[in-house]
Amino acid sequence: MVSLRRNKNSEKTKRRGASQWAVAWRRFKKHKSGLFGLGMVIVLLAVAVLNSVIAPYPARPAPDAFKPLYEGEAAQPPSWKHPFGTTVMGTDVYSEVIHGSVYTVYVAVAVTLITMLVAISVGIVSGYMSKYVDEGLMRITEIFLVFPSLLFILVFARLYQLRNPEPFWNIAGIEIPAGLTMIIVILSVFSWASYARVIRGEVLRMKEAEYIQAARGLGANSRWIMLRHVFPNVLPQIIVLATLTMASAVLLEAAVSFLGFGDPNTITWGRLMEEGLQDLSTVWWVEMFPGLAVFLSVLAFNLVGDGLSDALNPRLRE
Amino acid sequence: MGLGKYIARRAIYMVPLIIGISIVAFLVMYAAGDPIQLATAGNPSITEAQRNALRVYYGLNDPIPVQYVRWLDHFVHGDFGNSLYGGRPVNAIISTLFWETIKLQIVAIIPAFLIALPAGIYSALKQRSATDYSITSIAIFGISAPVFWIGITLILVFSFHLGWFPSAGAHGAPTLWTVFGIQNYTLDELIHLVLPGAVLTLAGLAYNVRLLRAGMLDVLRQDYIMAARASGISERKVLYKYALKNAITPLITLLGVSIGFMIAGAPITETVFSWPGLGRAYVTATLRLDFPLIMGITMIITIMILVANLITDMAYAWIDPRITIE
Repeated sequence: MVSLRRNKNSEKTKRRGASQWAVAWRRFKKHKSGLFGLGMVIVLLAVAVLNSVIAPYPARPAPDAFKPLYEGEAAQPPSWKHPFGTTVMGTDVYSEVIHGSVYTVYVAVAVTLITMLVAISVGIVSGYMSKYVDEGLMRITEIFLVFPSLLFILVFARLYQLRNPEPFWNIAGIEIPAGLTMIIVILSVFSWASYARVIRGEVLRMKEAEYIQAARGLGANSRWIMLRHVFPNVLPQIIVLATLTMASAVLLEAAVSFLGFGDPNTITWGRLMEEGLQDLSTVWWVEMFPGLAVFLSVLAFNLVGDGLSDALNPRLRE
Repeated sequence: MGLGKYIARRAIYMVPLIIGISIVAFLVMYAAGDPIQLATAGNPSITEAQRNALRVYYGLNDPIPVQYVRWLDHFVHGDFGNSLYGGRPVNAIISTLFWETIKLQIVAIIPAFLIALPAGIYSALKQRSATDYSITSIAIFGISAPVFWIGITLILVFSFHLGWFPSAGAHGAPTLWTVFGIQNYTLDELIHLVLPGAVLTLAGLAYNVRLLRAGMLDVLRQDYIMAARASGISERKVLYKYALKNAITPLITLLGVSIGFMIAGAPITETVFSWPGLGRAYVTATLRLDFPLIMGITMIITIMILVANLITDMAYAWIDPRITIE
């Protein structure tokens, strides 16, 4: 009784219950490695945005990129002037790693967007629709799951390389590398299947929930239920999967470029490593630093993903 | 349903998958352009008549469906045709590479499981302990580091700097590698396995530990574990008798996933270590568009992954009696 009356009197001081996102953020803040990962992601974004400002040398093919060569400093080990050393061709590895960060961010974001869009559509429709739709979609998903995807990605990338397309698309003044975009599409085609399965599983579990039954009982149609009830409830799971997709996309693109199937017009970190591989015994720094950059970016996304999965997934709470 | 019947049904189920994948692979390659044109693009002295002769020889003038059916017919009879480079039968090329890949995979897959199993389970049982933190930290480093970067680092340290292990190949050529002053064929073969095996083991290990830990934690959250605890059964008995026993089945499925993951990664490790296996051959074949060889290796790797899945399903059915009732 007492508490009831007090509530009534102090209407102004009544606090709104924390939203699920506020709760999740509070939980995420306690996750030290997750915060550390978030910090690294912010650094990566900052480097990508400021690339020309902080890089001492411009990106290839600008002639100034080869300045160390004319100064007689090709194939130099790391020094104060060239923190990551220089390549055999006479470019500054530190600058190239900075310029490469733009592509890394592009790959991470674009692959994740496409992958998640497909996975969410297939997952929700498959989990919610009739048995036949589900059955059909899941068979297709299964084929994509057993596909030796790396093999197919390499074939596609190679066939595209040979078509000699125009190197850049100019969209609204921004030069978008065509070859890299193709690789992004190829990577997405082979990444969505396992995520679609996870999302479908979540939807199936949720479908039997009482509030969904209630909504259906009140006359809501499938589209409404999918958009208003099912989607917001799988969103936490999707956010976690999205961060993990970023990590795997960066890793996979680096591998494709490293094997020599990348876009010849974009100097990504994987491509830097491919170029340096034959001179490994003399210029080890050309391999080490771009590799370290890939490692730290992937680690950052994975740490954030782990932190988010602890913060967002109520089933994992103890 | 008996176990034999179950396995037979699973094996039959693989057939449409194999055919589906081969159709997609075939369409991608042969519809993308004229393989002869692509393969001979770098040769200025070739005449159109010679190209035509090659097309007739490889049967490339027929419509794509006819070519596919012919390929399928040969495939069913265990024949992958001849390589576009040098004309060697693809079967002969694959058979020499196959065992090198299998050898490397087995050397990596077994330790990756044997170490990951106790590590993942222990980590889950002692969640939030210091050991758990160290294991999960090492695992997240392991899944984040690019395999080729770890490989290159190991080559730099243990091969170029210390000179302990060879950096490339599966066999010492022209002379055998000297191990403790002895030159022996087996020792030479083993020492060549060390670095690539270590890289693959590390990558698989990190992946497995994470899967196993998550799977085990999932079991520990189940109601029957809480019920067992509530009935006052000792924690030891709850963990080792109730949790572990029930965790084994989901864990085995996870291990199947991870074998596929390791086999599919073969091109990367094999390229770094110049390993004469299917993965590296695939990379070279793709770079020079040797279509019959690409098709052959794609099918072999697909079948390897499917067989790995089948074996895990068999183990699953053997351990869990509920599965066979379905």
